[in-house]
Amino acid sequence: MASEARFHNLEWALYTVIFIVISSVLLGALARLVARLFRLSGAEQRKIFWGFTFAGPWIIGFFIFVLGPALASLYYSFTDYQLGQSIEWIGLDNYRALLLGEGRQGRMFNTSMLNSFYYALLGVPLQITAALAMAMLLNNELPGIRAFRMIFYMPVILAGGPAILLAWRYMLASNGGFVNEAMRKLGDLFFVFDYLYRLFIYGTEAFNGFYIGIMRGDPLGPWKYTLPALLAGLLLFALIRGEWSEGKRVLAWRGATIIGIAVAFRLMSKGLMAQPIDPAWIYAGGAAALAGIILLAHERRGLARLIQVVTALAALAVGALVLDRAGFDVASRESVRYLVPLGLVATALGFSAVGPWTRRKSAVLWAVVGAFGLIALARHAPGEMGGDRLEVVARYLTFGSTIETKTDLDYLQTAFPEWLMSATWFYGLAVAVLAGIALLGDRWPRARRALSIGAAAFFGLMAIGSFLDGRAYFGAFVDLAEATGKTNYHFAMFHQALNQFPDRTRVPLWMNSELWSKPALILITMWSSGTGMLIFLAALKSVPRALYEAAEVDGANTLQRFLKITLPMISPAMFYNIVIGVIAALQTFEIIYMLQTPLTRDSLSSAAFLLYARTFSELRIGEGAAMSWILVVIILTLTALQFRYSRSWVHYEA
Amino acid sequence: MKRALILALVLVMSVLAVLPGGPAAPAEARQTQVLEIYITGLTEDTMNWFNDVAFPAFEAANPGVDCEIITGGWGDFDVTVAGWITTGDGPDIIYLGSEYAATYGDLLMDLDPYFQDWEDWGQYLPAAIDTVTYDGHVRGLPLLMSPRPIFYRADLMQGDVPLTFADALEFYAANTVLEAGAAKQWAFMDIGNDLFDAQEFIAYIWSAGGELYYEDGTSAFDSEPVAEAMQYMYDRRRIMRPTEDTAGLPPIEGTALESGIVISGIFPMWAVPPTSDPIWDNVAIAPYPAGANGSPLIQVFIDWLSVPAYVDDPALAVEFLKFIGSNENAVALKDVAGFTPTRQDAWDAIKASDPVWSKLLDLAVDYGRAFSDIRASAELRPLIFEQMTLFLTDQQSLETTQMLLKEEYDYILEENGYLD
Repeated sequence: MASEARFHNLEWALYTVIFIVISSVLLGALARLVARLFRLSGAEQRKIFWGFTFAGPWIIGFFIFVLGPALASLYYSFTDYQLGQSIEWIGLDNYRALLLGEGRQGRMFNTSMLNSFYYALLGVPLQITAALAMAMLLNNELPGIRAFRMIFYMPVILAGGPAILLAWRYMLASNGGFVNEAMRKLGDLFFVFDYLYRLFIYGTEAFNGFYIGIMRGDPLGPWKYTLPALLAGLLLFALIRGEWSEGKRVLAWRGATIIGIAVAFRLMSKGLMAQPIDPAWIYAGGAAALAGIILLAHERRGLARLIQVVTALAALAVGALVLDRAGFDVASRESVRYLVPLGLVATALGFSAVGPWTRRKSAVLWAVVGAFGLIALARHAPGEMGGDRLEVVARYLTFGSTIETKTDLDYLQTAFPEWLMSATWFYGLAVAVLAGIALLGDRWPRARRALSIGAAAFFGLMAIGSFLDGRAYFGAFVDLAEATGKTNYHFAMFHQALNQFPDRTRVPLWMNSELWSKPALILITMWSSGTGMLIFLAALKSVPRALYEAAEVDGANTLQRFLKITLPMISPAMFYNIVIGVIAALQTFEIIYMLQTPLTRDSLSSAAFLLYARTFSELRIGEGAAMSWILVVIILTLTALQFRYSRSWVHYEA
Repeated sequence: MKRALILALVLVMSVLAVLPGGPAAPAEARQTQVLEIYITGLTEDTMNWFNDVAFPAFEAANPGVDCEIITGGWGDFDVTVAGWITTGDGPDIIYLGSEYAATYGDLLMDLDPYFQDWEDWGQYLPAAIDTVTYDGHVRGLPLLMSPRPIFYRADLMQGDVPLTFADALEFYAANTVLEAGAAKQWAFMDIGNDLFDAQEFIAYIWSAGGELYYEDGTSAFDSEPVAEAMQYMYDRRRIMRPTEDTAGLPPIEGTALESGIVISGIFPMWAVPPTSDPIWDNVAIAPYPAGANGSPLIQVFIDWLSVPAYVDDPALAVEFLKFIGSNENAVALKDVAGFTPTRQDAWDAIKASDPVWSKLLDLAVDYGRAFSDIRASAELRPLIFEQMTLFLTDQQSLETTQMLLKEEYDYILEENGYLD
């Protein structure tokens, strides 16, 4: 029986070899045929034939095992494919549900993405700090240093193993675990440490409690304005301080671009995914595409052309969808609503594509961009800012409150948050101001300065006003709960954490609480940051000693030498570790799989973990495929942004 | 080009020349029918028993049949089995867990015609037959059972074994010891050590007199018994964890039942000391407490062997099921693999030799309810985790939790074709 099975396997192996050989030869023949069509010489045709024949196994493997499944998953992402049931094309429904947070799957995806960003934004810097610290320790020539290097690297090999993760479970046990016991002992010995430790518990629980509230979608109320206002205010403050320089112009552009991309992503997910698409989005999309073309036309003509082609194809696709929905009736009212903006965008695109690029052409197209932007704004602004909503701004500028009543739970929970206008407007305003400052630059310094100071004052007051009103809003829930004797469910974990400063008996409940599950995971990843440590170590070894000696002669202290020599010199290694760390953080899986409990499952779940659970446990293949493509786009975007902005701080030459 | 084609031809010819003699195989080998059986998590001893004892006996009784056993881990169980059953290409007999009859439904063969005249069928525990039944038709053979009662340390506990929610809460209050913001002794520990488990939640819904579904097939998460079960689990949690920052028990070496710091709990049989251990003299076994309008029960998990609908020769597969389900093989599997038989006539020897199992089996008959007919179970589990976590940790009210459980489970049921 066993020998029969072995023969069966051998048989298949041989068939596979035959298939590969024949396919490779056929691929070579095809390549030769193409070469002949291009009238290449006989010698070149032979070269091409053999080249493709020998590369054939890899090319065929790529098509069968990489490209094929990738395209299949792209197709599945537009279907409701569930294992065991028939496949139906559902268009963008999977993407819509996930990006708009619709239904349970959308909510879970939002939660998992927020968890992933937590790992990326908090975990990666901590991991890199740990790796760099270890590398600097190991960069000393001490006896037995090689053994230490091995010991420090060992967690990388062990970290994903079930036995080690089980050991971590024991070490992080809330009651009697090594970590908590060690901390308690240290606290008993040093009262300052005890206080700092309790402060750490308090801060971590409050921060994570707040984060959990956001993940749950509890309304932030006025605090949703505080972050954009504070962000813009701080950026503007940095631009105002000192003399104007090229670096500040770059900072303004960079701020505008990054916030702009975030706003665009949010608008896209909110607006373009809506059903039916509002025609205003066609104007907004056209304006964005044209702005990109204008900005790139002079220096990067190829990229500008690509945007033209992609936008034209998108316009065609939307047009086809509209006509399809209206039964191909061009004169129908519904069709006209879409075809007019599509026609205008197509005309502007055509104008941008035909003829040489001139300053006048740029000016005309900028005017078109402005017009399209105004139309899009005019469609949405009245709804968003209608009634007394704009009063929000006026009240915050004078530190007033916008809350009408603090004794009605429904009002606080639903009516008031719905009444507040979207925070996206404030992010948009920040983008416009920053872009304006960058454009005004050196040419109109007074206007630039006036805009900077005015906007900084505006955003500063908004930040303070909205923060104060937000405090009142959060406090209202607590007061109401106390008055009625009911439990407060609004940002419940945040309030629980804030309730009282931890006493001496309090310990972190690493594995048993949503407040601590993510910090526990980050702690384990920090412990296993040996790969980053190795890369830093190699980079540290390549820093020329002469630089340090010269700095010492110039009187630079240790910190200065670290900041001015070490960090710039190891910046390529730092950049590599950040890129890889962010990608790994977004794909965190094994540790979650091993450490989750029913109560901490959702607070740990990363996008990759949810993808696995939905696809392989719950057998929702279509939805899992859509998740994986969204994750691909996010990872590519973040990586591209990191590459784009690495030029200013990563130095590849000594 | 010509040379390349000749080269390819030569390669093909040489490969064909060295191919093992498939076409020239003896006539009897070609007629051999292979019967593939998949059973999850088998030990080497059990594999050996199948290969050395069971298969030769079956093959001798069925000439021309060649049995093959396949095993795998629980980690990839769902993916593996779903892949086979839904693509129609896999083993002839597939091992399934307790709740899977509703998951695969009509993708599994209706075995009524094969079992209706089988005289042994009457020996099987009714709860086990319920487990393997979908849409009124039997889909497989119950292979093993795992009753899951509550074990009590009678020598350590204060008060009697509770049989109602109210008594249980009093019992937990009397037997829990907290000190300096941490647990020193817990009156109860559940299977997940987190004072919450989805299967346990379902058990309390049943013991509160409720069901998971109304007659029209929609979810009954908005019913009164569900609210009672939820409140009971919440109150129990607050007794043992008055606040969410109360630390749990220290890590336990060995089994919780032996630790002396856990007074009662729900444990699978592999997580308790061997039944020959003297500690069992001090252990009481009882069903789950009941709500005001319910009755105590014990959850019984049945693992079973199914025949997928794609199988070409179901008669042969059923023949094997009857063979492996015979009294003699059921007893042998208990000895070799520790599989507790689901047929009651195989219990005599167990009851005579093992008082713990005797008690367990009697309780299973009196209070047993199979963990079965859990529709869309793979999606229900994470939904319960999510919503109950919010409720138990004071992040969501009972009413909102019930409403969301109901709404979202109805949506899942509809998506999976359980509702019109």
